[in-house]
Amino acid sequence: MLQKRIQDYLSAKIGADNVAVSNLQRIPGGASRETWSFDARWPENGKEVARGFVLRRDPDASLLETERDLEFRVMDAVAGHGVPVPKMYWLESDGAFLDRPFFVMERIDGCETSPTKVLMDPRFFAVRERLAERFAGILGRIHSLDWRASGLDFLSAPADEAGCAIMEIEKWEGVIDRDALEPQPVLRAAFRWMRRHLPSPAQQIVLVHADYRTGNFLCDSEGEIRGVLDWEMVHLGDPMEDVAWACIRPWRWLGDESMGGLIEREQFYERYEQASGFTVVPEAIRFWELLGNAKLAAIFLTGARSFCEGRTRGPMMAFLGRNIARLELEIMDLMGV
Amino acid sequence: MRPTAIESLRAAQAALAELIAPELASAFALDATQTVQMLLESLASEWDTAAETLSRDNETLSSLLSASRGALRSAAGSNESLAPIVSQIEQRLREDTATSLVLSDLTSRNSSLRATLESVLVAFEDLTGRRGSEMIDEVRNKIYSHLREEAARGWSFWDVSSFRGRMAALQPPAA
Repeated sequence: MLQKRIQDYLSAKIGADNVAVSNLQRIPGGASRETWSFDARWPENGKEVARGFVLRRDPDASLLETERDLEFRVMDAVAGHGVPVPKMYWLESDGAFLDRPFFVMERIDGCETSPTKVLMDPRFFAVRERLAERFAGILGRIHSLDWRASGLDFLSAPADEAGCAIMEIEKWEGVIDRDALEPQPVLRAAFRWMRRHLPSPAQQIVLVHADYRTGNFLCDSEGEIRGVLDWEMVHLGDPMEDVAWACIRPWRWLGDESMGGLIEREQFYERYEQASGFTVVPEAIRFWELLGNAKLAAIFLTGARSFCEGRTRGPMMAFLGRNIARLELEIMDLMGV
Repeated sequence: MRPTAIESLRAAQAALAELIAPELASAFALDATQTVQMLLESLASEWDTAAETLSRDNETLSSLLSASRGALRSAAGSNESLAPIVSQIEQRLREDTATSLVLSDLTSRNSSLRATLESVLVAFEDLTGRRGSEMIDEVRNKIYSHLREEAARGWSFWDVSSFRGRMAALQPPAA
């Protein structure tokens, strides 16, 4: 039973005999890893300590094949630099405790992450502008972070500022080579197009979150972002990659042209520029938006293959695999064809 | 036979929404139920016309490949790498085109045509915009026009959120 096994694990980690685990629940979303929430209580120095935790465990099959060690180490490192993230507690890189690798982090209570809630719940209407400001500001902070000084030079870096785009093209084209079960004329043509329309070199090589968007942060009803989540695709690269990813149509949840459902494009650029010191280059953004849509399609193809090969029964994998067409439409719009 | 396939899919959706979901206490299980609901919706939206759509697509793809062959031949003089693509098209167009309406047969034919189209389109991306590429550009535009039509078809969960405005703009104005 998972609850008992988590209890035994925490007892060993905390060094307390009678740790009580309760309210264990699997959280929807987070398709790249299983996400579980639970409460724990234990005695410490004559008092009872109560704390909420989130456990992220590798799945049998995933939308993404990523290293949880990397996610853990980066979240741990950025915490000290003004980037709001949950506190990271423990990382287990093998299946000795819970069959598969996992890590445990702080649960931040009283927040929402679902775009539907954040954008459509009246509690958040009045604070949307503040939220948008924080959203742009935190991205600027991530990009301003000195990754070498923060001990993040273990992340693979492009050879130089001009190599950022080609590195990502090769990464995601490789995923399509590996996982596509059917011919993909639009995606293949798009990668060819991208190779012929590379953006200008990055202004600087920065820490790129690579999944920074509405739906991947925890915010409270005051409009404060209290945790940036889902760092599994983090790498070093071009800051424009993150700016563009935040803007791609799939995350424009309100169905209009507001970026992430939060803010007009020009305002987002302006606030980001103020926070980061970088200049947003519209032609580079077009390239990176195109790459972002192709990357998302590649992620869905990975899920579809997992499903078709019987490595998962998660309906989301099947469903997303059947929903690439609209991404293709957006890709063709961005190519101008 | 009643209920028809569509009626049965709708019944499965109704059972999920009205009988199963209210009994579920876990947010994770409810979320999975909603996903299955959307998966069924996407199947229901294409079920009735699936065979006709695939059959027409296959005809269009054959016609586009035929036009591509002509355009590639005109460009092949100075580019030896195009000859294998022309051969691939010829082989594909010679293959059995028996008019089976079995979905798996239609899908298999569609997949092989699209595989060739993939090679063609990638080659066109290298050739387009060059001097003398007018024929290539013309066929390339037709291919993308077909791919856009395909990509805008059917029901997608994106259309109720992110792509709502985009898809509305694609609809013809109401009479």
